[in-house]
Amino acid sequence: MKRLAGLIIVLLIVLTVSCYVSRMVPPQKNLHPLGEFYLQNSYFGRYSAKSPEAVTSIVWDYRGVDTLFETAVFFLAIIGSLTLFRLNKGQAEEAKRGEPKLELPGPVATVTKVTVAMILAVSASIALHGQLTPGGGFQGGSALAVAPLLIIAVYTKYALEKNGLDKTRAIIIRSIGLLGIALTALVPLLLGGYIMQNQPIFPAKALGVPLGGSLVFYNFFEYLAVGAGFTAVFLLLSIPEEKFRKFLGVRR
Amino acid sequence: MILLLWSFTLISLLATLVISVYGIVAKPNLVKKLIALTIFGDTANVLMVLLGYRLIYPVVPPILPSLSKTALGEFVKTAVDPLPQALVLTAVVIGMAVNVLIAFAIVQVHRLYGTVDARKVGEMLAAFGRGEK
Repeated sequence: MKRLAGLIIVLLIVLTVSCYVSRMVPPQKNLHPLGEFYLQNSYFGRYSAKSPEAVTSIVWDYRGVDTLFETAVFFLAIIGSLTLFRLNKGQAEEAKRGEPKLELPGPVATVTKVTVAMILAVSASIALHGQLTPGGGFQGGSALAVAPLLIIAVYTKYALEKNGLDKTRAIIIRSIGLLGIALTALVPLLLGGYIMQNQPIFPAKALGVPLGGSLVFYNFFEYLAVGAGFTAVFLLLSIPEEKFRKFLGVRR
Repeated sequence: MILLLWSFTLISLLATLVISVYGIVAKPNLVKKLIALTIFGDTANVLMVLLGYRLIYPVVPPILPSLSKTALGEFVKTAVDPLPQALVLTAVVIGMAVNVLIAFAIVQVHRLYGTVDARKVGEMLAAFGRGEK
């Protein structure tokens, strides 16, 4: 009852304030000049990124250095998570010991197989079509990370490790992605351009589909980095609690 | 009427921001603090996207509908601002990674101390510092 009263008071305050403010707030009908510049130039124009998707061209071209540093923050966050759960060699071996077993009824397994295949296809299309449709490396990678999570939930993590996707491999794939981003960012420097500049040496079109120059490379590598980084974290998170308490020496 | 709805959206988002800050500060449970923090981050992102919205009809996403120069003028007249969306896009994924890091830390705190109550963890740390246990 007390909570309900608080809720109603908050709602009333919000309503009255918005009634009061609505006469003063200007209707937002026009674009900011900067946004208009991006819309005009993302495909046509002199400063073109050769991509009809204005958001992706901002992310990886006009404001590419921002994204480069945000990728660095992402890298640090994942590294921090991996460091918190650090295991030595024997413990890592023990964490892998276990049998994949299905605790859920049979149809769940079949549905999961189909869903995982669909998630992989959809996430790849989100990432690789990032320069044409809404999407890109970040979104595709986040969608990709759902697939191993689903496998862990249904078949336990040992199934994932028995099929070759263990923590080390996930970290290697993630490093390949981050290295690819760094190398693609450095290529324009060799040609006398600025770092992360979208230059004509990157393909603008393949098979009649606009590629947006370097955008498609960045999207692909970011897709690998985000997907594999989250997979590594999920693998660590799914180590059973009893094992972890044993590693830490907690007696409770 | 549209202006009323628009200002209602803005004010309710601001109210959500205030309430989530209250949640971060006042709740002793670390998990609840994390939930309030995610609500704060997501509300800030929605506010950012609203900055680029346009109160017109029709309004389209910032993606060229066709690759011809004739469509460009109409497109610029109706499309929303792409810049806030681009900034939010990366913020969402980075926010997720940082939240995973914080969640990991909370899981580890629970394993080591057996509680996620910030006050109890503080007491245990103080007792540890005095040399008891």
